[in-house]
Amino acid sequence: MIPIVIARRTALHRVPAGWKLAGLLVLSIACAIVAREPVGAAAVLAATLLIYAAGGIGIAEWARQVWRVKWLVVLLVAMQAIFLGWADALTGTARIVGIILIAAAVTLTTPTGEMLDAIEAGLAPLRWIRVDPSRVAFTIALTIAIIPVIAQLAAQIREAQRARGVRLGVRWIVTLLVAALRHADDVSDAMTARGIA
Amino acid sequence: MIRATGLGVSIDGTRILEGVDVRLDQPRIAVIGANGSGKSTFARTLNGLVAPSEGSIEVAGIDVARDKKAARESVGFLFSNPDAQILLPTPVEDIELSLKAAGVPRGERTARALEELAARGLGDHAHQPAYSLSGGQKQLLALAAVLVRRPRVLVADEPTTLLDLGNTRMIGELLTGGVAEQVVIVTHDLELAARCDVALRFDAGRLAQVGEPAEVIDTYRAAFA
Repeated sequence: MIPIVIARRTALHRVPAGWKLAGLLVLSIACAIVAREPVGAAAVLAATLLIYAAGGIGIAEWARQVWRVKWLVVLLVAMQAIFLGWADALTGTARIVGIILIAAAVTLTTPTGEMLDAIEAGLAPLRWIRVDPSRVAFTIALTIAIIPVIAQLAAQIREAQRARGVRLGVRWIVTLLVAALRHADDVSDAMTARGIA
Repeated sequence: MIRATGLGVSIDGTRILEGVDVRLDQPRIAVIGANGSGKSTFARTLNGLVAPSEGSIEVAGIDVARDKKAARESVGFLFSNPDAQILLPTPVEDIELSLKAAGVPRGERTARALEELAARGLGDHAHQPAYSLSGGQKQLLALAAVLVRRPRVLVADEPTTLLDLGNTRMIGELLTGGVAEQVVIVTHDLELAARCDVALRFDAGRLAQVGEPAEVIDTYRAAFA
């Protein structure tokens, strides 16, 4: 699940969204370069801990974010350990987790409205090729908002299967797709009614 | 004022609404009828979500088919499922989106959004994920997102269908408590319909009756006796 903005004001809240997004880009590239050896990977994780502590988000939130991606960590380590060995598996996974943690630090401290404005400003040059930056930014925000709704639809389908004692197998994806498309229709009506579309 | 003249709607060759002629000046208008009777389609013509195939519809002095933009500024629309209406992750951001669409300057949006949320009793939930709100709170948020633009007319399409008794009453009281110059409530909740000033009953795509809510509700009930 994409983390939601934490309500209390932290030092990172005060950093303009554009700077944070640019920082995310730079740090992600740095992570990829630095974390090629176990020492570098450990340094990347230590740096994320420092960002959370110094930025005012806190160590507890850092731990919570790591816990959120636990299954991804298991999967990445297991897959890479088979093909690359333990050392490379741990290094590669630490690199990815480091980037996820930095991205989470940005989303945790940036209200969606500010993020949208920054994305809109950053995408302004795309106007040259007739791309409307405000539409792109809104689409991203809408996607974030709709993820829990789609998760809820999936949960409803699972419950309906259990309640009726049936198993759809992979066909449940078709049912979810139909429900998601119906929801998209409703959202489209709401956007029109609210004067947004 | 709402005025429908020879209003008809056909979608993909199927006639959904026909020959609706009515003038409504009352502040609280209930619209009742069986499923598929055309009541929701009628409601959707009021802010241009559905375009008339025949005739015309005028709301707050605006010919809706001719000027949809003006109609959407003056006519707010509340759906039965708030999950489809809440478009951004947190309540404050969702209200800000309505203000942005209304052209409110960026600097004023947050303060006004927080004010609106506080007025609707959602002040403590402003920054909480919208998906974690209860059904009643979500519908309140959807309503706040409409009302923050101060529409002259509010259309609510089955606004209490997904709510429990307490929330049904709370939303019903809000809607009938003068939130706009005119409120049109499409509903199966006959208690709510009874609190309105006039009721419209649709049947098989036609406006079958317009009158005192008690009388219209009695006729509707008799059809199922």
